[in-house]
Amino acid sequence: MNIKNILIANRGEIAVRIISTVREMGIYTTVIKTAAEPAAMYLSKANFIYDDTENESEIPVFLDIERIITIAKDTGADSIHPGYGFLAENPYFAQKCSDNKIIFIGPSPDSIYKMGNKIIARKIALSNKIPMSVGSEGKIPTENKAIRVAKKIGYPVIIKAASGGGGRGMRIVRKEEDMPKMFRLASNEADKTFSDHSVFIEKYIENPKHIEFQVLGDKKGNIIHLGERECSIQRKHQKLLEEAPSPALTDELREEMGQMAVKIASAVGYYSAGTVEFLFDSKGEYYFMEMNTRIQVEHPVTELITGLDLIEEQIHIAEGKELRYKQEDIKLEGWAIECRINAEDVQASFSPSPGKIEKIIMPSGKNIRVDTGVHAGSVIAANFDSMIAKLIIYGKDRKDALGNCKQALDKVWIKGTKTTLPFFRMLIRNQRFLDGSITTSFIENELTTYHINSEYEEMLAAWLATWLFVDENFDESSLKIDFEDAKNINPWLLNKRINRH
Amino acid sequence: MAKQKKKLYALLENKKYGFNLPLTETIKIGKREYKIILKEDEKYGTYILWKNRRYPVEISLSRQNKFDILFNYVCYSFTIETPFSLKRKQYLDKTKGPVENEVIKAPMPGKVIEVLVREGDNINRGEPLLILEAMKMQNEINSPVNGIVTSVNVGSETSVIKDDILLEIRII
Repeated sequence: MNIKNILIANRGEIAVRIISTVREMGIYTTVIKTAAEPAAMYLSKANFIYDDTENESEIPVFLDIERIITIAKDTGADSIHPGYGFLAENPYFAQKCSDNKIIFIGPSPDSIYKMGNKIIARKIALSNKIPMSVGSEGKIPTENKAIRVAKKIGYPVIIKAASGGGGRGMRIVRKEEDMPKMFRLASNEADKTFSDHSVFIEKYIENPKHIEFQVLGDKKGNIIHLGERECSIQRKHQKLLEEAPSPALTDELREEMGQMAVKIASAVGYYSAGTVEFLFDSKGEYYFMEMNTRIQVEHPVTELITGLDLIEEQIHIAEGKELRYKQEDIKLEGWAIECRINAEDVQASFSPSPGKIEKIIMPSGKNIRVDTGVHAGSVIAANFDSMIAKLIIYGKDRKDALGNCKQALDKVWIKGTKTTLPFFRMLIRNQRFLDGSITTSFIENELTTYHINSEYEEMLAAWLATWLFVDENFDESSLKIDFEDAKNINPWLLNKRINRH
Repeated sequence: MAKQKKKLYALLENKKYGFNLPLTETIKIGKREYKIILKEDEKYGTYILWKNRRYPVEISLSRQNKFDILFNYVCYSFTIETPFSLKRKQYLDKTKGPVENEVIKAPMPGKVIEVLVREGDNINRGEPLLILEAMKMQNEINSPVNGIVTSVNVGSETSVIKDDILLEIRII
């Protein structure tokens, strides 16, 4: 069946990203206008807008299954793209779509359910002989059971939420005496975040790399992989920078791990785009971690090195058409890096730094792609995610991509909030990162500061502080500051800014 | 008073930048002088133009002689001193001795889930003090020092904003 009108059940950059492909395909898009963001960028890109600003429900619309279904029916949308997050990995939502004869652009409810429940996913991986770290069989109901299982596996272990993902509800335990507390914490967080307190235990892999494989399958049972992404630059399990391919893999390993990814995806009859995540240790062993049954934030790096448009393929697959590529058609060319530019304060442990984006100028050029959902005037709200833009850089090899990335980072101009830019500017000069040998513990264990230290920039900042002091404390007639281009300085604006704080 | 060379110092942690008065709009590096231009326009907002490059600047705090400058997204907290006030400050710092109290502040807005220590508890560096839930994550706040907990200002379910004082520790 051909899709004619897609309701995008998401906001921000992913809504904009989806629309850009869908429009090219000659398909209509419908988006939802919310009271929280009545002037959001994604609204200006779509064909139709459903006005939901009067919605007084306590549940945000993008989490409200019934309401999304109603909106799809009201607007005549024949399909729903959930983006990532929100409803993308909710099997009940996918089922609801199907019950209402709406095409869910994503995998089947059954695959979402099986891969979403980490205990079931482990069992499937085990029966398919996918390498995995040793762990508990099934969920762990009590602290005492946790202690017994951990003793058998050997510390350190990691407690994970059965319904978890994205780093939530996870706790590393290094010694037995910490187990009761950590068990309680993981279980509470799991309950709060996923409404399911069940947890399980795995042997904790020390200092691994995070390497994930993009897979693509159709409804006829064809399934291929599109190579890997390395996402080892993480903080508290939140990814900050991703690259494709990974500097750690040989062609043989890539082939082997790619086949494992295809195997586990096939085991649940997977279709649409999905990601199989592995941990990769210092000995070159890899372990299946989980499968994400949605399009991911970092999908553009795969697009840049394969030349595919994953959203286009998802739609194609959702229409029931056969995969347009065979494994041998997929050639990985060049290198891609994605930096997540977030409104965060890297000098305060990456805490959110919400605010209004006053200016935003992103670099452009033939090796640069920018995915963003904000423009000048947009507000990065404290209760939404903190992403401002994804800066995605291409190069003919890793060295070339890193060089292009370094240049592009210096051209990003954002005013109004703090950003993760000082972190990336530091990282792109860090020898360990440049070597490609870093692991997921890099940020927390190897760095003492999370921002670039530039001698000249610090000196200029000192000059500015001194200038402000002089400006406030000295009589202007006795201490004339003779600025070149004085007409361009608006002392009123500066003063206003000073007085506001 | 004897006429001495007028100068100001911008202090950042243990670093000191001296500027002669009247303050010029140049910085000398080696033998060359480079012009600093402070501007504000519609396209870029406020910025400093230096060596043909624009740097975004923002004044995030200005109180008496304290200035927090956000320069190219990095925040620098300066204290401006005159030669006289600098001497006085150095004298006071010497007589005061080291800081004894560590104040633990909320690093981000959120809700306290559980306080893991009590007043009078002896704690070691790195040990968890409390659990703060923010952005749906439960974050452990660990002690940055060895010491004794002298006050606990929050309990479970307390909502906090950034920089709220959570507890204090006497360093030992």
